[in-house]
Amino acid sequence: MPAMAKAQAHAQHAARTAERPALAVGAALDAGGRIWLARVENRLLQVSHSRDGGSRTFSAPVSVTPQPEAVTVEAENRPKLVVDADGTVHVTWTQNLGQPMTGHIRYARSTDGGRTFSTPVILNDDRQVISHRFDALASDGRGRVAVVWLDARSRGERTGKKSPQTDVGVYAALSQDGGASFAPNRRVAQHSCQCCRTGLAWTRDGPVAFWRHVFGRNIRDFAIARLDGGPVLRATDDEWEIDGCPHHGGGIAEDDRGNLHIVWFTDGARRKGIYYRRVAAADFSRADAPLDMSVPMALGDAARQAGHPAVAAAGSRVLLAWREFDGRRFSAWAMLSQDAGASWGAPQKLAEAAQQADYALPLVDAKQARVVWNAAEEGLRVLPVAEAKP
Amino acid sequence: MRAWLLAFALLGATPADAGKLQPFTGDSLPAIQKQFAGRPFILTLWSLTCHHCVKELQTLGRLARHDRALPLVIVSTDSPAEAREIRAALQRFGLDHVDTWVFADAVPERLRYSIDPAWRGELPRSYLFDAAHGREAHSGLLGEARLKDWLKRQRAGK
Repeated sequence: MPAMAKAQAHAQHAARTAERPALAVGAALDAGGRIWLARVENRLLQVSHSRDGGSRTFSAPVSVTPQPEAVTVEAENRPKLVVDADGTVHVTWTQNLGQPMTGHIRYARSTDGGRTFSTPVILNDDRQVISHRFDALASDGRGRVAVVWLDARSRGERTGKKSPQTDVGVYAALSQDGGASFAPNRRVAQHSCQCCRTGLAWTRDGPVAFWRHVFGRNIRDFAIARLDGGPVLRATDDEWEIDGCPHHGGGIAEDDRGNLHIVWFTDGARRKGIYYRRVAAADFSRADAPLDMSVPMALGDAARQAGHPAVAAAGSRVLLAWREFDGRRFSAWAMLSQDAGASWGAPQKLAEAAQQADYALPLVDAKQARVVWNAAEEGLRVLPVAEAKP
Repeated sequence: MRAWLLAFALLGATPADAGKLQPFTGDSLPAIQKQFAGRPFILTLWSLTCHHCVKELQTLGRLARHDRALPLVIVSTDSPAEAREIRAALQRFGLDHVDTWVFADAVPERLRYSIDPAWRGELPRSYLFDAAHGREAHSGLLGEARLKDWLKRQRAGK
């Protein structure tokens, strides 16, 4: 295809992709308890925040993207944002490159409380029109920022058709100066699953990533790894052997005692559905570190396709959220723990949606527990989660 | 919503040489089963966003080339807005002459559920319907050998 026709076809694909309603949003809490949102309107990525700790009114959206671009927003793909203690807002997203399954990882920040954003940059050093997608973002709240994503750049390294390796790995970019600059990309792991969202938590030992890995030839269970060269540690043992794409990942958060809280989906031989487990604080830099992990706890109603779980933690409070579908309507669900996952309040059904709905996004701090849920008909709702009776 | 209506209109206005890509709705599977009444068939679901589906389409394309009577129905779980890309992919693998469909519902999960509540959206997803339309579900690549073996057994009436 001549270059011009190719460019045109790419632009058309990008435009049509953007015609789908962009329900997938990003949400975060700042230190003052305000809710921040990242959402795509008319191919512009926009950020706004709640006026107070509540959720009634949001500020006028500010564009992060100076020009319209093909931000990837559906299901496993959404913009991400975090807000540091000093008010710096970090935003990442995946920009579609005009062909299915391609993307660049983009980053911008605001140092003036979300009034203006820096010119977006591309974080992946490799600039081929291939898959750099499924970004996850975390910061230590004081100027160090980490981004991970799934990256297909090393597919040329495969030693031939018989290679058991997948052509995708986990890559990371780190900033020590509040996002002003990022060090060269680092490969965290090779042989990951190709199209499930990734998770990232900033722990007391630095950032720890969580993703669907491929163990052995084709077991697609989850792994965790520190970004500073730590080993790939197996975090789930569901034995899901599938020569295919689950399109269904998981999430990770850390409490103030250093425990990790993970949620995920599996359709494995050993268990099927969505699960939660706690991984006790440990030295994740050691390949032989004995991992103290709780027995996986099933979430939601499997008959209603409970899926797409997410987790947030603050202090000893851990909030889980997920989505169910009964064949006609979606519903958003949550569960809250006040003691770092040792015990749990009852599952709470928060709302229903009559038409298409996004994943349910949990937000928690010392004072509030909420779930942000966007839906085609009902719009974006901030749903309060009832506190468990002590 | 306007984009959806427009996409439906475009689907309907398909020129004959572009291959038929029919909108798959809640009524489509019963209609397909009726069309294959008393006969076995393969139902394959795939997506433009599915890494493994490329390989699956390659396999099916190879089979279809050598077996013009292959009882095959291919359903894309993308949206009618992507009809152009879907057709291009099907054509690339020599599958534009087979029975092809695309999910057409603002809530694609409804279609998925109507096909099989136990299917969680992983792709590729295949259903092997025998002559009595008892079906065998499979997630991930099926593999040419397994497909050929299944076809042979079905055609032998076993």
